[in-house]
Amino acid sequence: MSSSVTQTAAAGSIEASKIYGEGDTEIRALDGVTVSFEQSRFTAIMGPSGSGKSTLMHCLAGLDRLSAGRVFIGDTYLDDLSESQLTELRRDKIGFVFQAFNLIPTLSAEENITLPMDLAGRKPNKEWMDTVIDTVGLRTRLDHRPSELSGGQQQRVAVARALASQPQIVFADEPTGNLDSRSGTDLLDFMRHAVSDLGQTIVMVTHDPSAAAHSDRVIFLADGKIRDEMIEPTADRVLDLMKQLGD
Amino acid sequence: MFKVALKDILARKRRLVTTGLAIILGIAFLTGTQVLSGVLKDSIESLVGTAYEGFDAVVRSPEEQDLGFGQQIRSPIPEGLVQQVDQVSGVRKALGVVETTSAQLVGTNGKIVGSNFGPPTIVYNWLDDPQLQVGVLKEGHKPAEATEMVLDFTSATDAGYKLGDQVTVSAQTGSEKFTLVGLMGLGEDGTLAGGAKMMLFTTPTAQRLGQLPAEFNYIAVAAEEGTSQEVLANAIAAALPDTQVLTGAEFTTENQKSVSQFVDILSTFVSVFGYVALFVACFIIYNTFSILVAQRTRETALLRAIGAKRKQVLLSIVLEAVLVGLVASVLGLVGGVALAWVLKAFVGTLFTVQSGLPTLTASAIATAFIVGIGVTVLSGLVPAWRSTKVPPIAALSEVSVDRAGVSRSRIIWGTLFLLGGSALLALGLADAGPNPLVLFGLGAVLFLVSVAVILGPLIAAPFSRLLVWPFTRGTAITPRLAGENAARNPRRTAATAAALTIGVTLVTLIAVMASSIKASVESTVNSTISADFVINSSTFSIGTGIPTSAVVEARAVPGVALASPVRFAPFRLTDAYSQQQAAADPAKAQKNPLGAGDAAPPGEDTFMLGIEPQSYFEINDVGNTQGTPKDLTAGTFAVELKEADKHGWNVGDKVPVYFAKTGVQELILAMTFDQSSGGGSYLLPLETFEANTLALFNTDFIVYVKAEPGADLPAIRKQLDAIVADSPAISVQDLGEYADAQTAPFDTFLAVVYGLLGLAVIIALIGIANTLSLSVLERTRELGLLRAVGMSRKQLRHTVIGESMIIAVFGTAIGLIIGIIFSFALSVVISADSPGIFKYTLPVGQLVIITLVAALAGVLAALGPAWRASRLDVLKAVSSV
Ligand SMILES: Nc1ncnc2c1ncn2[C@@H]1O[C@H](COP(=O)(O)OP(=O)(O)OP(=O)(O)O)[C@@H](O)[C@H]1O
Ligand SMILES: [Mg+2]
Repeated sequence: MSSSVTQTAAAGSIEASKIYGEGDTEIRALDGVTVSFEQSRFTAIMGPSGSGKSTLMHCLAGLDRLSAGRVFIGDTYLDDLSESQLTELRRDKIGFVFQAFNLIPTLSAEENITLPMDLAGRKPNKEWMDTVIDTVGLRTRLDHRPSELSGGQQQRVAVARALASQPQIVFADEPTGNLDSRSGTDLLDFMRHAVSDLGQTIVMVTHDPSAAAHSDRVIFLADGKIRDEMIEPTADRVLDLMKQLGD
Repeated sequence: MFKVALKDILARKRRLVTTGLAIILGIAFLTGTQVLSGVLKDSIESLVGTAYEGFDAVVRSPEEQDLGFGQQIRSPIPEGLVQQVDQVSGVRKALGVVETTSAQLVGTNGKIVGSNFGPPTIVYNWLDDPQLQVGVLKEGHKPAEATEMVLDFTSATDAGYKLGDQVTVSAQTGSEKFTLVGLMGLGEDGTLAGGAKMMLFTTPTAQRLGQLPAEFNYIAVAAEEGTSQEVLANAIAAALPDTQVLTGAEFTTENQKSVSQFVDILSTFVSVFGYVALFVACFIIYNTFSILVAQRTRETALLRAIGAKRKQVLLSIVLEAVLVGLVASVLGLVGGVALAWVLKAFVGTLFTVQSGLPTLTASAIATAFIVGIGVTVLSGLVPAWRSTKVPPIAALSEVSVDRAGVSRSRIIWGTLFLLGGSALLALGLADAGPNPLVLFGLGAVLFLVSVAVILGPLIAAPFSRLLVWPFTRGTAITPRLAGENAARNPRRTAATAAALTIGVTLVTLIAVMASSIKASVESTVNSTISADFVINSSTFSIGTGIPTSAVVEARAVPGVALASPVRFAPFRLTDAYSQQQAAADPAKAQKNPLGAGDAAPPGEDTFMLGIEPQSYFEINDVGNTQGTPKDLTAGTFAVELKEADKHGWNVGDKVPVYFAKTGVQELILAMTFDQSSGGGSYLLPLETFEANTLALFNTDFIVYVKAEPGADLPAIRKQLDAIVADSPAISVQDLGEYADAQTAPFDTFLAVVYGLLGLAVIIALIGIANTLSLSVLERTRELGLLRAVGMSRKQLRHTVIGESMIIAVFGTAIGLIIGIIFSFALSVVISADSPGIFKYTLPVGQLVIITLVAALAGVLAALGPAWRASRLDVLKAVSSV
């Protein structure tokens, strides 16, 4: 295991375990995961279905709690926080993109993007908003309701929302899972751009080697444990490693 | 399919509970009121039955006059008649009975016991015959001395007296003290309470209190062994042809009838609210089912996609509705009995009601099931029918935002209903058709349905957004979300609010009418009466007026310029026009079939004021007149011009009038006037009045007192107070107090009405809570998402509460508007009837309070759903389907 907790880490976990059920029916969704995500890097998490990818993301994003071990965002350990502190942390420090159903149907695209800041009662940074909106290419669609947007557009709005409040880190759980390859690629390009040019930190779960190829680093999970990792991945190398691990 | 339906029900316990609750409440209220009126009627009839049980025959005067509300005033009969009856063969005992309402019981606190609305206080003489005496002594002995009395035990307790106490009785001649020597009650051992407050005295005392010198109200007769009531009655009738003779059974039935008339009014009144509650509940049931079915559209679509036929889908929903309706109706019946039981306990404080649980009649059960199941099935079927018409694939991909708010057919139907409702309302107000009240009611329902249900959804969304707009400046997102949530299902919002609209419409209508009536009374009093003080009697009972000596004493007070007495009595107009009116009214034509021996000719009953012409017109402004007060001499009367025109009378005409005391008299119309002041349309100079009315009407009903200019008013008042200090029922008021006193009984009535309407509003709140719970369930995923991106629990609660407040305020606003429209329509009609008197007045303060209360109620309704929403597990919510 080559990754270690460093001072520049945007988020990470130490010996994180998540156990569902008890006794015979016990499931170790996470089994002592220690990982850190450096600032301004794009990390992909891969692994077979049921390997604990979503669980790890949820625990890192303060949506769920660990059974043992610790997770942190910046210099805050989440395990010590109360429910309302966690909520504030999610609002101010974290962006999250789900596989689908990311938007509030009654709000326009723009309102969805500014939602976390509105909830905090903060004014969005106008310049940054413009940058984000232009990067996702949604300027003409800002007044539309989610039901008037395509699936790809909806996911882009979701990513824009995750980025809009300039969070410490953005988690995206299979953001391209429901998209065709064209829209998927657009979205990945955009996330890549956000990391390289805007300095964001993004962690993304994916099953698709070519999606993983957009990242700086890939972490492989299996049975709740980290199996391997790869720096500067390409689709072919990822595919090879997956085959290797599958054997 | 039955299995699917059953599984559905069990899988959605909470939804089941919420739907069921609305039905249970509606049915409970309906059943409760039905059961209660049955219980009341039975109890009262059996009590009246026991009271006069011992009478085999009753002998009385054929001259009687109707006072309305089942009260009759009959001429008394001379004492000597008792002797004659006693001699008729078959008579074991004949005793003269005093039964009058001419005195009041004063409690230990110095206040009159009972209210104008409660059962009356009756003065009886003690009958020295155990068979004839009404009721039985429970404690103590009968009144033997002129200064002794017996009370029924409930009144004694209420008034705070025990045996041996000195009891204050307020009579015509002022207050008197009597020693309480006995307590009595109805039933075999005197333990049943009869409702009426009974005061029993020796015969001379009772005659004196009842102003019946050497007279009785009627004669009670006991038969000899072996003589039947019929034989007895016939024998007496043959011997005394000038009297009216009834058998004891007939007399009891007559009394029961007049009491049940009162109970009927009471139960009709209560049932009206039962139906309002049910109407509100129907809305809620329908609404809840619509939401449930809409939420299941996906599921039904899936069922249909995998091959279930439309009929099968519909059948499963009907099955579910029948099951829910059945269970809820049963629970509603139980709740209804419980409600009746509570109400019964309350009524039981007035008189003894049948003991044990109120029993359900077959008709109450049938109504509950028919209404409960019928409404539920219809409520389920309509939305289900609509949902099965959607092609399966469209339903499968449906999002939970309703875009079908505005459709052309909705506008057309809404407008049709609105026009139809308005037309019926207008017809009802214009007194058209056989039953204008039904027309008015039907029109009101149509109008309400059209505005609240059909057109409501058209305005629900813009209204919601408008309402939150002032709060959404800057970055405030919770009001915005609340507004959008209320706007996203306009049909749902409108239907939920409609339940509240009904209650608020009625409350507004009543509040506006009440304040208008108050303002009208006040302005009439101030503009037509120029007295400085009014001596007023606080009791309505006949024969409890102001002693005639008061006027004389008031005139003697230094600084008093004028004191004008006014008396009050019923009489019957028997001119051609009135006879025609009476014949046209079936209720009046068949009135009192038992009193076949009554001497009164057909005609219309109304009331008149006995006045002193010189002073009355000085104090009361009656507008222009034809004829002068001087023309009002003995044998004449004055009438309001409007009435004279209606009957076709001119000054100088002879008008036939019937009095209980003197029979038909021809009075000369000596004067007409433009406006009635103090409510009197028929004015008789005291000479005419006294000659023709019974003694009990010849006390003053009101005395106007006018001071000389510049007189010391407080000093005058002090002296006037001293004159009536003896009678707790009589007080001195200035004009402002007098106007207030006129409308005071109204306030009690209003409090009752508001209380009953409060129930309808509570049901409406349950409806809002229902809708919100279902909406929260439906939006679980969305709420989870909001929490995931950082909405705090508090913010989420506020969003749900905000939505609830919008629904509540929307319902209230529409209710206010419709209520104001209805009340305005009514006021137009009233004003057309009597121009210049009715002052339409909006009680702005009260209306603001109603709105605030509604908004607050919205908060209350949302507490449960808001709490549940904020406790959602974020992850589970996000991943829920
Ligand atoms: N609420 C839960 N209760 C019990 N077990 C759970 C729960 N949530 C997840 N699991 C189990 O934990 C393990 C990890 O689940 P997780 O959702 O993290 O997998 P994943 O790697 O995201 O899979 P996929 O690629 O299919 O999304 C699985 O075996 C899953 O069945
Ligand atoms: Mg997953």
